[in-house]
Amino acid sequence: MTQYGKATYNFAFRLTGNEADARDLTQDAFIRVYRAWRSFVPGTSFLSWIYRIVTNLHRDELRRRKGRYQEELPEDNAPQEFGGQRPLAVTPIDDYVERQVGEPLSKALAQLSPDQRQVVILADIEEYSYQEIADIMGCSIGTVRSRLHRARALLRRLVERAQHQER
Amino acid sequence: MNQHLTNDTLIDYLHGELRPQDDALAHAHLAVCSSCRQARDAESGVTDFLRAGAAAEEQEFPSLVAAAVWQRIREAPPTPLARFRTFFRPAIAVPLAAVLLVGGWFASPLGHGSSGGARSIDALYYFQAHAAQSASSPLSEHSGMPVDETSMNDEAGSAAPLVDQYAAYALSGGINAVR
Repeated sequence: MTQYGKATYNFAFRLTGNEADARDLTQDAFIRVYRAWRSFVPGTSFLSWIYRIVTNLHRDELRRRKGRYQEELPEDNAPQEFGGQRPLAVTPIDDYVERQVGEPLSKALAQLSPDQRQVVILADIEEYSYQEIADIMGCSIGTVRSRLHRARALLRRLVERAQHQER
Repeated sequence: MNQHLTNDTLIDYLHGELRPQDDALAHAHLAVCSSCRQARDAESGVTDFLRAGAAAEEQEFPSLVAAAVWQRIREAPPTPLARFRTFFRPAIAVPLAAVLLVGGWFASPLGHGSSGGARSIDALYYFQAHAAQSASSPLSEHSGMPVDETSMNDEAGSAAPLVDQYAAYALSGGINAVR
């Protein structure tokens, strides 16, 4: 935990965008590592294995939250004040993220979908190869490539806009 | 390569994910095409932005998380495998193994000091002797009725010779003698 704690926590923080969720995610990930360490294949990257666990836990958590909000808000109770453009279930989270993230990177990553965010973090920040990312995320290299291309197209526009505003 | 490089190709190029021949072509094209170099620089700018932001937002691992992990591990109920291992600690496993070993020794032919073949001979002898004894004295344990050895070995019709012998025995006054 001493060796991989910082990297895991920072990865979780970039995925979730806030400290509280990052702490919970890191905690759950290390408990999963402790319980399932026999399934680790010697000779492979331990950090990649931890990242795979974090990625899966994050995906599960997002699904769980999505399901919970859908249960709490029946379809016939959709608010009219939003003009039907966005479901109410998404709005509090978006507003929360908007308030929480102040740093440029966090703000930029918050604009991406969770899958795109994972690919960008792993490819550009952690500098993993497409094959390693595919192994971590449990998808094909083609999926990794297309997600990265879309995510970077969005980030490019954000960076250009930021540079334009600075001028 | 006369065509300009697409952004997707440039992204793969910057990540070193192009095939060697495509990578060489892209490299050669970038050397002569200023607009593609500009696009590559823009892509590099995105990468630099991400890495600089990651370095600036780098956080220390909270010690509270480590403490919470260890606490949850300690509080977690033991798994069935862990319970199994606890049960088979040496203090239990050694006496149990000794009992099983001793039981196995006495249950095996080695424990009796005789082989399987000898045991089958003993059984045959017992049945023959018991049958002979029953035939020689149907009403008493010890009487002098002769035993027909050949009838004892006759598996198919062993009852009939016994009846005949009993009739002969009764006629000769054996029953009266018993009474």
